[in-house]
Amino acid sequence: MTTITALGLVLLILMVIVGGKQGAQSFLSLLFNFCVLFFSVVMIAFHFPPLIVTLVAGVIVLALTIFMGGGDDLTSQTAFFTSVIVLVVLVLLIVPIIHIAQVQGFGQEDSEDLEGMSLLIGINLLNISMVTAIISTLGAIAEAAMAIAAGLTEILSQHDQIASKQLFRDGMTIGKQIIGTTFNTLFFGFFGGFLALFIWFSGVGYTFGEILNDKVFVSEILMILFSMIGVIVTVPLTAFVMKHEVDYRRKRNLPFSDLDK
Amino acid sequence: MLRKRMVAHQWPIPVIVAIIAVGLLLVIGVKYDYPLYHDPVATITSVKNGKPEKQKDEFENQDTETSQKLVGKIRNGPYKNQKVRLSNTFSMSGASDKQYFKNNDVFLIIHHHGNKLNGTIRDFKRDFQLALAFWMTICLLLGIMMFSGLMAFFSVAINSILFFWAVKLNSSTQGAKVLLIFGLLTLLFAFVTLWIVIGFNRQMLVTMLATIGGTFISIGIALSVFALTHDKGMYYESMQYVTQLPKPLFLAECLLGSLGAVMDESTDIVSSLFTLKQERPDISQKQIFLSGRQIGKTIMGPLINVLFFIFMAETIPMTLLYLKNGNAWGYTFSMNMSLGMIQSLISGIGIVLSVPLASWFASLALRRKSM
Repeated sequence: MTTITALGLVLLILMVIVGGKQGAQSFLSLLFNFCVLFFSVVMIAFHFPPLIVTLVAGVIVLALTIFMGGGDDLTSQTAFFTSVIVLVVLVLLIVPIIHIAQVQGFGQEDSEDLEGMSLLIGINLLNISMVTAIISTLGAIAEAAMAIAAGLTEILSQHDQIASKQLFRDGMTIGKQIIGTTFNTLFFGFFGGFLALFIWFSGVGYTFGEILNDKVFVSEILMILFSMIGVIVTVPLTAFVMKHEVDYRRKRNLPFSDLDK
Repeated sequence: MLRKRMVAHQWPIPVIVAIIAVGLLLVIGVKYDYPLYHDPVATITSVKNGKPEKQKDEFENQDTETSQKLVGKIRNGPYKNQKVRLSNTFSMSGASDKQYFKNNDVFLIIHHHGNKLNGTIRDFKRDFQLALAFWMTICLLLGIMMFSGLMAFFSVAINSILFFWAVKLNSSTQGAKVLLIFGLLTLLFAFVTLWIVIGFNRQMLVTMLATIGGTFISIGIALSVFALTHDKGMYYESMQYVTQLPKPLFLAECLLGSLGAVMDESTDIVSSLFTLKQERPDISQKQIFLSGRQIGKTIMGPLINVLFFIFMAETIPMTLLYLKNGNAWGYTFSMNMSLGMIQSLISGIGIVLSVPLASWFASLALRRKSM
């Protein structure tokens, strides 16, 4: 058995023990997300327009992550609706910034890996760095929206007479409490992924100025910042969408949550 | 409670406007920071493009290459304000070259050519773009999150400093103690981050216990699995930028990568449970545990996906290059994506384990009196 299969099995078993059916669904969503990601790259390799492939893949990934990971319908709907809005906002931000930062392709640090490869592949890699940035934010947007929405649904199910204004404020409070650790998830996730690069900078003795203008470094930091912006925008938007959803359901006497079913 | 006061703290609008304005001035300053660089910097003043030439490689990829004749004005150093002639070639794909435009700032190597100056472009100047994106993030953070945003920023800043210090320490020991350094640092990171974000109180201690438990148990499980499968299918040689022994470095990357997410899961569960306790002081210990599990199992999937997309997105350009170089899907996956996948799985294990840990610790801490 390969290490990937073994670790995958361990994760699946733990997820089923902790989350039951929902845990199994979450595991499946991870698998499906991988398939969507891999086939998006393959489609781009076949010269489908990269940004359109990414947008479609992005919406599918958000839906898979949220509807297959989430439990109740209020949390999932609110989170999905919010995260699609945030995705659009981020794309509008990422495209111009990557364009002026010109972080396409590979850096001088990659030259060893590029040996013997043809670089004239006929695909504009500037678009690909936009794709990379957009994809790296998807998980963060979905997670932030889910965390706020799940917290609010839980408060609603324990305290269903709560005023919708207070609910918005509770959403911001949960958001303010989690923003710090969400930032640290992103920070550690990205820096953990690129630890080797920083060790390289330190070992080779890059100057501060060289690091600040380095293609790989700038592209990495931009990805962190885009994810952080995504999370920041997600907090008030989720609370806002949830408040409206609750007002709407109250007006029509619809149930808030199917937790008790 | 101190935390409550901090959250309720609102800033007057002039303070926010002042921070935004000062930041904008700094960003503009970075645009014109030429004197700070030792290396010559030039601004491109005119561009003449040659005729695009079609290129075809052995894998039938079609591309074009275009040569450029550029004139730049040097912005710093002994040749300041002099003209320099530059040449460049770019391809349509731009894998390791790029097209230059008027008003681009570039770093140069200058050669004398009789009376005239010639130069070679070394790199594009990106510090202004970086500063701009940074400033936008800070503005949004302070504008929407106020004081909590400042604290979140502060915790990331402190962690960056600790991180760079640890990287220096690792380099000074030639990478021999990478696991020990980053293992100890993980404990410090958890303590400092949660202290800044939550404050020093019971909620923070509960969260920290669950975080440390989840992170280290997941690395322990990963090590056992590696031993049982004899590292089968682990392509350490495919790691990028490696300058030291890859396996311990990979484990250190896993440790760091999962720490943030495990902390996030624990904090989400514990903070929601503490908020819940405030809304409903009479809730029982068992109900708290069950609510924690309910919240936890809802967000664990999305949280694993956060790291999954971070780890996998970085591999996309190289994966594409492999595919366009005629490599099979399976080989392309193994050489580019498999380590990112393994890192996601290890982090996932830590995240899942923190659900029962955080719910259990929180239910113990909240079992007695109301807040």
